[in-house]
Amino acid sequence: MAYRGGGGHGQPPSAVRSRVSPGSLSTCRTRTHNICMVSDFFYPNMGGVESHIYQLSQCLIERGHKVIIVTHAYGNRKGIRYLTNGLKVYYLPLKVMYNQSTATTLFHSLPLLRCIFVRERVTIIHSHSSFSAMAHDALFHAKTMGLQTVFTDHSLFGFADVSSVLTNKLLTVSLCDTNHIICVSYTSKENTVLRAALNPEIVSVIPNAVDPTDFTPDPFRRHDSIITIVVVSRLVYRKGTDLLSGIIPELCQKYPDLNFIIGGEGPKRIILEEVRERYQLHDRVRLLGALEHKDVRNVLVQGHIFLNTSLTEAFCMAIVEAASCGLQVVSTRVGGIPEVLPENLIILCEPSVKSLCEGLEKAISQLKSGALPAPENIHNVVKTFYTWRNVAERTEKVYDRVAGEAVLPMDKRLDRLISHCGPVTGCIFALLAVFNFLFLLFLRWMTPDSLIDVAIDATGPKGAWTHQYPYSKKGGENNEMSKPR
Amino acid sequence: MEDERSFSDICGGRLALQRRYYSPSCREFCLSCPRLSLRSLTAVTCAVWLAAYGLFTLCENSMILSAAIFITLLGLLGYLHFVKIDQETLLIIDSLGIQMTSSYASGKESTTFIEMGKVKDVVINEAIYMQKVIYYLCILLEDPVEPHGISQVVPVFQVSTEQLSKVFSPKKICYLSPFSAFLLLLRFSRNVNSSCQDYLRTPDSYF
Amino acid sequence: MVLKAFFPTCCASADSGLLVGRWVPEQSSAVVLAVVHFPFIPLQVKELLAQVHQAGRVELAVLGTWCHRRQGAEESLGHFLEGLGTIFSHEPWLQLCREPGSKLWSCKATRRQVPPRRGAPYEDQVMLVFYDQRKVLLSQLHPPAALPDRQAGDAAPSAGGLAAVFDTVARSEALFRSDRFDDGPVRLSHWQSEGVEASILVELAKRASGPVCVLLTCLLSLVSAASACRLFKLWPLSLVWSKLSVCEQLRHRLEQLTLIFSTQKAENPTQLMRKANVLVSVLLDVALGLALLSWLRGKDRIGPLAEALVPVADHVAEELQHLLQWLMGAPAGLKMNRALDQVLGRFFLYHLHLWISYIHLMSPFIERILWHVGLSACLGLTVALSILSDIIALLTFHIYCFYVYGARLYCLKICGLSSLWRLFRGKKWNVLRQRVDSCSYDLDQLFIGTLLFTILVFLLPTTALYYLVFTLLRLLVVAVQGLMHLLVDLINSLPLYSLGLRLCRPYRLAAGVKFRVLEHEAGRPLRLLMQINPLPYGRVVHTYRLPSYGCHPTHSWGSLCRKLFFGELIYPWRQRGDKQD
Repeated sequence: MAYRGGGGHGQPPSAVRSRVSPGSLSTCRTRTHNICMVSDFFYPNMGGVESHIYQLSQCLIERGHKVIIVTHAYGNRKGIRYLTNGLKVYYLPLKVMYNQSTATTLFHSLPLLRCIFVRERVTIIHSHSSFSAMAHDALFHAKTMGLQTVFTDHSLFGFADVSSVLTNKLLTVSLCDTNHIICVSYTSKENTVLRAALNPEIVSVIPNAVDPTDFTPDPFRRHDSIITIVVVSRLVYRKGTDLLSGIIPELCQKYPDLNFIIGGEGPKRIILEEVRERYQLHDRVRLLGALEHKDVRNVLVQGHIFLNTSLTEAFCMAIVEAASCGLQVVSTRVGGIPEVLPENLIILCEPSVKSLCEGLEKAISQLKSGALPAPENIHNVVKTFYTWRNVAERTEKVYDRVAGEAVLPMDKRLDRLISHCGPVTGCIFALLAVFNFLFLLFLRWMTPDSLIDVAIDATGPKGAWTHQYPYSKKGGENNEMSKPR
Repeated sequence: MEDERSFSDICGGRLALQRRYYSPSCREFCLSCPRLSLRSLTAVTCAVWLAAYGLFTLCENSMILSAAIFITLLGLLGYLHFVKIDQETLLIIDSLGIQMTSSYASGKESTTFIEMGKVKDVVINEAIYMQKVIYYLCILLEDPVEPHGISQVVPVFQVSTEQLSKVFSPKKICYLSPFSAFLLLLRFSRNVNSSCQDYLRTPDSYF
Repeated sequence: MVLKAFFPTCCASADSGLLVGRWVPEQSSAVVLAVVHFPFIPLQVKELLAQVHQAGRVELAVLGTWCHRRQGAEESLGHFLEGLGTIFSHEPWLQLCREPGSKLWSCKATRRQVPPRRGAPYEDQVMLVFYDQRKVLLSQLHPPAALPDRQAGDAAPSAGGLAAVFDTVARSEALFRSDRFDDGPVRLSHWQSEGVEASILVELAKRASGPVCVLLTCLLSLVSAASACRLFKLWPLSLVWSKLSVCEQLRHRLEQLTLIFSTQKAENPTQLMRKANVLVSVLLDVALGLALLSWLRGKDRIGPLAEALVPVADHVAEELQHLLQWLMGAPAGLKMNRALDQVLGRFFLYHLHLWISYIHLMSPFIERILWHVGLSACLGLTVALSILSDIIALLTFHIYCFYVYGARLYCLKICGLSSLWRLFRGKKWNVLRQRVDSCSYDLDQLFIGTLLFTILVFLLPTTALYYLVFTLLRLLVVAVQGLMHLLVDLINSLPLYSLGLRLCRPYRLAAGVKFRVLEHEAGRPLRLLMQINPLPYGRVVHTYRLPSYGCHPTHSWGSLCRKLFFGELIYPWRQRGDKQD
């Protein structure tokens, strides 16, 4: 997006390199990596993980690495596609089980993933999101194949209920021999370290980022006679839609000049519709339905206050986007949210209807008294906080560190699994690891690595895709010919 | 003028690529696989018959034996007639068209001729095939109704897909000179959109 | 661009002369149609070309010269041929020459008006493509190229590429009309028919076909008028007509016959092919029907058949009785609600009893009915099959009734259960908005609802079992009927004439062309042989399939299963192929 500008202007790679954190690591950036991002979540699905993967890949490509993305097929979108800057995306034909996550058997994806890893000459596997079965599968296979692995956790989990206990066990197994883990906030790091029983040394914190050029304020778009509260989130339980349905009638009764704009779709939408009908708020509460990412900014700039009611959140990108558009943010104090924005830009409340209403009233009174800073000023402050280049630089350091580490050989890996994950689970997964290894040996016997084509590298500023090959001039002895058209 | 080179197909089998130049405007590329070997034929037949005999000793029904014979015969016929391709030929005649012929082991030949006016482009594409990711050569046909659309994708050398990485290095790319592989890459640069939100219109959407 | 000269193979051994044909400038190809032999008068040649142009609206011209060197041919001919270029000016001027060695050809194309580079006339590269004139003339390209508008008077056909070649040959049919016994002012060499066969019978048939067609059309219109009579449209009758497959089949047959005997001339080859296909399929159908009739009548097989039919129906009823008694006990060890089970079982048993007595009442008439039905086979096998399917439907009417009762009961229960389940969860179905709303119920409502829900849940297995058994029986009947309809559809829709044409004259239906490179020598023009690539059988069937009246399955397997689960009725006569698609 914004980074194409840089690449397009033909900046010499050295210039990019010299800008890399001038203090510490300016000289040791000598090697490039072949990175494979694996996650179940990618475009055309929409969300934080998806845009994270995309933006990070673009910045890494700009820095001279080769990046490919592996995800599962979305409807008709299957096979191999290219995005901007020759970013190659493999949409693998795997069955989707639940919530866009593939079914895992730990084995069935090995042939395809191995083929991709080999033909793209991947050195580092970077998996995203602990909800994604494919990411865990890829980690498992990569370790079997002896590749370096990095994992980014985008979400927080509880410890109490059954599903969290199971997921945490799985995460322990999956991460116990992963080389490095990245979390998006310190809260998330704590959470992950506790859940997966990790050594905190190998967990880094790299926050998410937003593209500030996409989220610019536009004060003329909002009506100053009325106050508009904007909510943009998926309408699901985790995002606190039930809280929202409590807030709306209370505030609407209190302030006659208050409007709500709600963007997003989900199973809880029906609650909001009922609230709207019961209190006859059709003209004051607008439900926009599913929004495309590019429309989010147009919705945000129509409002004065942004409301986030999440019940759990590792790093809330929505509030950064809203703040970047110059809105006053009111949010619940959960997860990593307090780390995200400084005190003066956000009003934090407890996740309850009462506390949120108080927070909103405070914001409204500030707005009415004119105590809020101008949108432009907020934008100028926020745009320096989180940039993707910064994220990419920091991620690159992780890659550099990981590339130097050794991958555990099979016997040590089994030891580690058994000692680290408890006797029963450890043994089961050690057995599975052995099976996986045998399966890999079988595959290697069926199609040796030497038979798999090497894919051409189309990515990056030096990639083949930018070269304009004049196709009548090359080659050329007796069989030279131009296209007959 | 004729010359010959050997390649390996995606499963590692040997392929021979013959090029014949009839005239500057007419060339022929001929890709031939090894013929059906007697050894594998015998092995399969023996396996089926042994299995049938095993069943026969169990059930004592002679129907099984005759059924096995029929199955082997029909299977062999079907394999030779519909599956096993001995040779695939690509004849390119300037300003006339491209002709693809595949001859099956049974002698059946199927020919397709595509007029030059209908060919939109010839590209090397990547696809997921079974449990592999392969490169394949294909001809894109022009949509008669919509000038920028593609009505059909015709794969060339479909059964014995060449291991194209061997042809892919820029030196050797001139083997398939009219089919410059880099057209594919050119295509990306031409159509790629600048923003990710436009992903639906990215060049990929051939399929 | 390489110049392509399409040359008919039949002219390869012709004497020297002029090449007549059409020049397609867009593809720089010259389609040679004929060779004009010496001696000729240039004016007459031009007149002939003008005539052909009038007839086929295709612009013919003299393209160049043809020189067939035999042993001892004089040298001076070459100069003479070059001189001809000045009389018939054409750009470019082709000079084809065949050497005595018979395999060596030389070809030159010269342009005069193109600015010459070094004084000499500019020469193009030439490629020779041989084609079989007869096959190209008779073949029909698939898919048909955009039809050239003959009325517009625009001589240039809009078709591009090779279709232009085919089009040119097809339009200049007038040129080939003269056979080898004709003695016109200009001596031509091209593909010639062997002369028209003139047999009296063919001539008579041709003459007679017109009046016969008119007569039959009148008859058919009478029949259709009678069938359209208002008496048949009264309420109960119209319902019966729409349900009986015989009526559908007869109506379809009537339409087909009307199509065949319509006096309108077929406008394009597709319509002609369709007519032929319909005719062949009707003939085959009638032939099969007559065969069936003769088999039935031959040894008087109707009597035993009728005698066997009643016991079979009886036997089916008895088996059903056993089944019901089994269900009324403890089927497969399942424990059911006894009271409901007994009520349902008795009800069905009584129904069955009624049915059996009805069958016995019918039994004396069955042989006569069958005899008359057998007669209908002379209308065609399809009619006989449709009648058979109707008879099956009538004879298994009790199964249908059982199925409907079972399905209604089951559906009622499922609906009740689903709405009470919503009540359980504090929701209700909002009819106005077509969605599920939340709703707060009173205690009484909840209590009653829970009570009803429990009762329904415990009674469900009994009803479901009856429903399941009768649905399976019904599906069996529907499958048999569907099979018959499939057979009828097959006979109705198979394009037999096209298939026969593809088998015996493969070149008539062309999917395209294929080329073969002929022996080649350096320095000589490339020679290709153009052959017709016949249409594959699958595509023949696909292209020429006759429309059949059979309704296509309206829903897929998934929706069928869904319907079965929710107890909605499935009707065989609405979606008849749906068991076998």
